[in-house]
Amino acid sequence: MTAETGEQKGRLQRYLEVLVGPLDQKKRYREFKARTERLPPGYRTAIEALQRYMLYFGPGKADSLLEMLDDLADLFEQSVASGTPVRAVVGDDPVAFAEEFLRNYPEGQWISRERARLTDAINQAAGDRP
Amino acid sequence: MGKQLTEMLKGTLEGIVLAILLGRPAYGYEITAWLRDQGFADIAEGTIYALLVRIEQRGLVDVEKVPSEKGPPRKVYSLNATGRAYLDEFWANWSFLADRLHHLREGEHQS
Repeated sequence: MTAETGEQKGRLQRYLEVLVGPLDQKKRYREFKARTERLPPGYRTAIEALQRYMLYFGPGKADSLLEMLDDLADLFEQSVASGTPVRAVVGDDPVAFAEEFLRNYPEGQWISRERARLTDAINQAAGDRP
Repeated sequence: MGKQLTEMLKGTLEGIVLAILLGRPAYGYEITAWLRDQGFADIAEGTIYALLVRIEQRGLVDVEKVPSEKGPPRKVYSLNATGRAYLDEFWANWSFLADRLHHLREGEHQS
């Protein structure tokens, strides 16, 4: 490929990314969805429910979000392979599990921004940071 | 396991997992199985997995992907030097806490 066509492709890709979002991120997301669709029914239902919750409360940055979803798919695929039942994967308290899992991906979470804001406000009020 | 034990375990699980990994490298399912054998029956596989992701992010373990006969490659975790230092700190804190609680309990008997 010559430099010129490479540049043209780059420009076209950037244009498409503005329209539809970065292509590699879309591809990664499609790969994640395909992985969930290959899971046995119970596991698939569970991962879809967790995904819904985690998209709601999880990272706002696409890269961090996709990393989280990939890690989630790894866990479920490994659990299917080792024969670990859904209940033993998620535990008695699915919300506690989801929150524990989300803690690893703080980037871009709105709650992280609010936590930082609260900490700064108290630092100022306490005179730690004049 | 009772709710109280679950809460207590939450604060010590990281140290427990690092201590297991000091013995030998292991993958997630092996760690959960070992904990279950030791009577920690209610710890979810996912909780251990989330913890392993976290200690990997913090650089306490080295990770190697090993192909498995069935299913996806397994991530095998081994404790590195940073992890060992962190584990030493965990045991020091544990000793401090256990000692203080022991004193508290003894005092309770005397009064």
